[in-house]
Amino acid sequence: MITVISTTFGICLAALLLFLVRRDQLHISHGLGWTLAILLSALLGFAPRLFDATAELLGVSYAPILGVALAIAALVIKALLTDIEVSKMKVRQQRLIQKVALLESALQEATGRPPIDD
Amino acid sequence: MAPSTTHEPRSTSPRAAVLIPALNEEAVVAQHIAEIRAAADLPVWLIDDCSVDQTARIAADAGARVITLPARLGAWGATQTGIREAAARALDYVVTMDADGQHDPKNIAALVKPVLRDECDVVIGSAPQRGSVLRRFAWRLMRLTSGLNCGDLTSGFRVLNNRAINLLAGARASYLDYQDVGVLLMLEQAGLRIIEVPVVMPPRANGKSRIFSSWLVVASYMAHTLVLGTIKRRRPWNAR
Repeated sequence: MITVISTTFGICLAALLLFLVRRDQLHISHGLGWTLAILLSALLGFAPRLFDATAELLGVSYAPILGVALAIAALVIKALLTDIEVSKMKVRQQRLIQKVALLESALQEATGRPPIDD
Repeated sequence: MAPSTTHEPRSTSPRAAVLIPALNEEAVVAQHIAEIRAAADLPVWLIDDCSVDQTARIAADAGARVITLPARLGAWGATQTGIREAAARALDYVVTMDADGQHDPKNIAALVKPVLRDECDVVIGSAPQRGSVLRRFAWRLMRLTSGLNCGDLTSGFRVLNNRAINLLAGARASYLDYQDVGVLLMLEQAGLRIIEVPVVMPPRANGKSRIFSSWLVVASYMAHTLVLGTIKRRRPWNAR
């Protein structure tokens, strides 16, 4: 039953990703990452024995918790990568704002033209 | 496009400017700029951090070059804007000052002297006797976590030579939100020489702090600064 649920969820998520990329709501680089995640979870959903064997190899007595732990770890890494990207964007934005201010100031000094309203 | 010299005095060497980040200081900015121009033969650049009052117009009328930010960046973001311009113009040094009249322009000469003599790269106008018991306790915590050996960690009255200008104009410095612990650690760890020169700082001429407008903001600032200092402090194995 869980396989059916997770597979259905995966298919719905894949369809949503395709829709978002086609509508230019999601950058393709993010779409690729999510596609990989969906394929991986689909693989594990269709091959539960593979998952059980892996859990046994790692000494995990209750195999499903390995899946939960891996999913949480993946989400944490994703959140961290997102924060790193947001930090870079914030710095880029700040430096662009500074550059605009300096260019407008230079333009005003040279031509007397006031800054453009936002 | 050659830069206009409308606001720049005729002095030729060394090349420098006074940087004033400002937010809603229309009541005091004209007098402050007049005092600076009387005390020091330096161009004044006011970086207007999206003031909603007449700070920019009044500063321009008072003879300052006004650089108006199209979006609010905070005191450090505004200061860095001026520093980036100083780096682009290859200035020899800049003097950073607050816009609220707390920094006496008569001290500029004393702060600039060690930089001109190449005795240091950064001078901090230091007034550790100012402030409440709580502020001094905050400074103590900041020193403890960051390892910085500095009496007045939060003074914005500084002189930066061209080495410091070029360092602080860079993108790494844009990751910082405040001009105190993070900036001082960056300067120190780049091997720049930092000294303090005592100054007297009168109480703020224009009411409460623009930056620390509530206890929540202060708490957020302290958490930010203490964690940053702890993470970025020089490790014993990297000690010079």
